[in-house]
Amino acid sequence: MSSRDDILGRVRARLNRTPENAVTGRAAIEAALAMKAQGPRPAMPSQKSALVERLVEKSLGFSSTVERIGTYNDAPAAVARYLAGLDLPLRAVVWPQLAHLDWSGAGLTVEARGAVDRDPVGITGCFCAIAETGTLMLCGGPESPASVSLLPETHIALVPASRIVAGMEEGFALARAELGQLPRAINFVSGPSRTGDIEQTIVLGAHGPYRVHLVVVEND
Amino acid sequence: MKLRAHRFKQNALEALANPVLQASMKKAKGKFVDKRAIAIKEIDDFEATREAAKEIRNRVIENLDLWLEKFEQAAAARGAHVLWAKDGAEICRLVVDIGRKHGVKKAVKSKSMLSEEAGLNLALEAAGIQPVETDLGEYILQINDNEPPSHIIAPVVHKSLDEVADLFQKTHHTPRKTDIPQLTREAREVLRQHFLSAEMGISGGNFLIAETGSVALVTNEGNGRMVTTLPRVHVVITGIEKVIPTLEDLATLMRLLPRSATGQSISNYVSVLTGTKAEGESDGPEHLYFILVDNGRAEVVGSEFQDMLRCIRCGACMNHCPVYQTIGGQAYGWVYPGPMGSVLTPLYTGLENAIDLPHAATLCNQCGVVCPVKIPLPDLLRKLREKQVERHLRPWFERLAFRLWAWVASRPALYGLGTRFAVRYLKWLADGKGSIPRLGLAPEWTRGRNFPTPEGRTFRELYAQRGRA
Repeated sequence: MSSRDDILGRVRARLNRTPENAVTGRAAIEAALAMKAQGPRPAMPSQKSALVERLVEKSLGFSSTVERIGTYNDAPAAVARYLAGLDLPLRAVVWPQLAHLDWSGAGLTVEARGAVDRDPVGITGCFCAIAETGTLMLCGGPESPASVSLLPETHIALVPASRIVAGMEEGFALARAELGQLPRAINFVSGPSRTGDIEQTIVLGAHGPYRVHLVVVEND
Repeated sequence: MKLRAHRFKQNALEALANPVLQASMKKAKGKFVDKRAIAIKEIDDFEATREAAKEIRNRVIENLDLWLEKFEQAAAARGAHVLWAKDGAEICRLVVDIGRKHGVKKAVKSKSMLSEEAGLNLALEAAGIQPVETDLGEYILQINDNEPPSHIIAPVVHKSLDEVADLFQKTHHTPRKTDIPQLTREAREVLRQHFLSAEMGISGGNFLIAETGSVALVTNEGNGRMVTTLPRVHVVITGIEKVIPTLEDLATLMRLLPRSATGQSISNYVSVLTGTKAEGESDGPEHLYFILVDNGRAEVVGSEFQDMLRCIRCGACMNHCPVYQTIGGQAYGWVYPGPMGSVLTPLYTGLENAIDLPHAATLCNQCGVVCPVKIPLPDLLRKLREKQVERHLRPWFERLAFRLWAWVASRPALYGLGTRFAVRYLKWLADGKGSIPRLGLAPEWTRGRNFPTPEGRTFRELYAQRGRA
């Protein structure tokens, strides 16, 4: 007997599974999947502007930094200013879906591709952002490689204000509605990578980025 | 991991006598506890959220076979291979086979307690595949000759900075440093090379989502993202009980897991991974395997211990346990320490192999109060104690003592005489002081505490006196 049949067989025996109650059980499962019931949720503001405020506040709590700009056209200059301010290289990899912005006009050298080990800066957009916890929801794909938010020491994310939602639930609902099926990787990112393994001392930049900078685009 | 739970008493005594461990445990004590207390206040209705989480987990376990079929179907539809393992040996065999099939020389690992259950690292090494633990804590343990973890969230909570500094100097052949950010940076540099060169990534899974056939992975370091983004093969090893129905359920559970574990409102990284690399994608594995593991779990389904299968491995019970706080996790002698481990170890490895664990608790119910999915841990511990008695697993002297006690207690005259004698003996032993520093007949009781002096007369004597008045 295969291990699958052995394990499932023993679980079935312990649950007193019969062909009859399997039918009602499966119906209950399909009903639960169709209903997608939500659990209790913390109260969230309904106004867009209040959601933006909350996202900013929570992101700061996760050791991210935030700048708010007017339109996408202001983004390259904002990114260049941020990098120059920290004496970081003005060289970055960027999600292909953001390649059209005028990065070189702001003095930046960007390449639109997945990141490799020594890329110092990664610039991403986000699928949406979650106000409840100050979290970026990044969906991987050919135009939005996961490595860009992972390998470089600095991660800069452009966050359109119109894509700031209350909770993870809204993020998943958007993914279902807009993408049909889930992408291979959804990565929720809340601030830079950290560890507290040695004597519970929090250190940023364990394996992923040392710094995460959010550029909130108010009028996208 | 080798089972050493039968040596619990000896392990605990050694832990109490180990000054480095005692200092580390004292330092850690309360940190997670305080942060959790603050973080749960952000949830408007924490109790309702706990109740909802309990229901989500129960819903799955009550129809576990059907949910597993559903998950398997959804995962396969996205190109994943779903394999099943009865025990640790089968986990090892499956992973080694996958490694050989794909020509793997090196496997980077994100923390997986199931792989500890299986002793996977030794099996991989024996098969010529180099396993590299990438969670900083797990890495420190691996370079210390595969030392077992002492906590499921903070594996090296028992270790001092000096010990880590020595280990890094010895292993990396670098000048000794005791600056924690510098040590972390050193590990980052070493591990980065492994991430980039490994052909296979091995991870656990915090949850499996039946609706989508996905695995949800929660980490703070980002090593979970590394092992699931860079290598061309990804193997997920989880227990069969880890299934949850929907993405909405994941959202609910994610309000509880990080808050209960580290006191964060969310962990830095939560990944929901589904299927393999898509057409045109520059990263992600080409091959994805799920290994769904029994290793004792199936037998708990439908039993009086079924509530334990709700566990989401947050570690809150051990963080709040006065016994764990004093002896650390390694004394428990297997993968899972603290109250949850004292239930899981006997259930998964056999009651007779972990005879003292159900007794390694004061039943103060701190663990029950903080458990995010409301597992009645003290009740389960008590049931395990009952089982031990029913199966005559307790030591002969204990059984004899209880038989003697029962014989005396069912003879009121003898009982009265005995207690009168005992109370006077204890008073004499106290010699006018408020407590007894050392009990002659049971010195273990007074090793870490004093015994309070009885007031002088037994309840029955006082009752008789009042009755006359």
